[in-house]
Amino acid sequence: MGNNVLYIEDNPDNMMLVRRILESRGYRLLEAQNGLTGLSVAESQPIDLILLDINLPDIDGYEVARRLRRSSKAALAHIPIIAITANALKGDAEKALAAGCDVYMSKPINIRELAARVAGFLPE
Amino acid sequence: MSNAPLSSATASYLSYLLCSGCGKEYPASQVHTYCPNCNSPLLANYNLQGVQQNCPRAIFAARSRGLWRWQELLPAQSAADYCATLGEGDTPLLPLNNLGEQLGLSNLWLKDEGANPTGSFKARGMSVAISRAKELGIEKVIIGGKENTARALAAYASPARLSAHIYMSDDTSASTVEEIRLAGVKVELVKNLETSSAGFWEQSNLDGQFNLSAFREPYQVEGQKTIGYELAEALNWALPDVVVCPTGHGTTLVSLWKAFTELEALGWLESSRSPRFVAVQARGCAPIVKAFDAEASFCDYWTNAHTIASHLIVPKSFADQLILKILADSQGIAISVADEALQAAQRQLAADEQIAVSLEGAAALAALYKLIQKKWVQPNERIILLNTSRK
Repeated sequence: MGNNVLYIEDNPDNMMLVRRILESRGYRLLEAQNGLTGLSVAESQPIDLILLDINLPDIDGYEVARRLRRSSKAALAHIPIIAITANALKGDAEKALAAGCDVYMSKPINIRELAARVAGFLPE
Repeated sequence: MSNAPLSSATASYLSYLLCSGCGKEYPASQVHTYCPNCNSPLLANYNLQGVQQNCPRAIFAARSRGLWRWQELLPAQSAADYCATLGEGDTPLLPLNNLGEQLGLSNLWLKDEGANPTGSFKARGMSVAISRAKELGIEKVIIGGKENTARALAAYASPARLSAHIYMSDDTSASTVEEIRLAGVKVELVKNLETSSAGFWEQSNLDGQFNLSAFREPYQVEGQKTIGYELAEALNWALPDVVVCPTGHGTTLVSLWKAFTELEALGWLESSRSPRFVAVQARGCAPIVKAFDAEASFCDYWTNAHTIASHLIVPKSFADQLILKILADSQGIAISVADEALQAAQRQLAADEQIAVSLEGAAALAALYKLIQKKWVQPNERIILLNTSRK
């Protein structure tokens, strides 16, 4: 099991926070600022876990998750995906899980919880 | 702004804000929401040694009724100038003698927060948070919430001349929305709004507004903790053995824990026993119960949340880690109850004690039945049920 985490997120503040959390724990963070770039990085690079914002500027996170699960790169069918969203609407969590995400987290991201969840998939 | 009968000679002993997650300290004189370092709730800390030296507990009993009599232990530095109050606090502690006899419990009580001015414990938090916001120079406040939150916001923000904005679910009754709007609050209805704990407005829409949503700022807890002071005072400066708290966001549970911790540090308690906390949730939305049973340190987001007790629909509290720690440290427990049990408990309190409680408040009695079945409570223990609201 590697330690490469891809974070698909267009908000630079969140990106910086997560980078600080994960790199201090020995993970390598790869960034993508929109859904299509995220898909491209996931398909071309060795990735062990994906953090996925739902509100992205091009395709939304649900669609990203669905495409990841259908990808021709076999490893993406089972790669852990943690959805992270600031949404507060009924059904958002259910939609994220139905799209193929493994875990749903709401913003603001609690750093201890995020670290624990990532470590649950990728032990430090 | 209304003023409590407070003396300008007394002042708050507020010292600093402490992150409940990472332990980082922040100056209380600045505007802070939650911890920017780790995104956990901030809690207000006081110079309790100073209070201990200068304020014997008897002086608080001698003051006019209401939560502001604890002003040294509240965050408004100059409560006489910035106190937004409608007389909240000092709610009844009612003996449940008939129910106690039926259940074989000799010391059963209900703290009735429905008696607050806006009909719920939210009045306490809002009185203090609005007062502190005003003192800090905040001009605009925002919140997401349900009826009890909205009523409290409307009652306190408008007289304080704060611009107030609330997000509510679009299935809120038209009469409630009208009531809130008439009080000068901007109401925005959101389709399918699930929880005020999530923060879709936090980033793009915050626009300089101070977010008063549960645990997103440190001051509502300060108002609500006075429930704990009142309980200890009413029990002759002893603490209950068991406190049963209906738990959505978990603000009353955290507030009571904070109050009891402060009282212990102040040396005001006559006995050293600490209460066991019970978090009660609806079976259709029980993230704390699930995490507690799994011995987890945080909750999973609860999907497909549903219950007739709408204020208990909180799929994940922003303070979930703190709540779980309090339950574990106090040797407490988390219990879920079915909607039918809520309704039955509500009827029973009305029939046997002539007390009208909300479905959320009834959850405390419904949970007590389970605790008795489990033999988790003893016949002579001092047990407090918390009714959070009138409806």
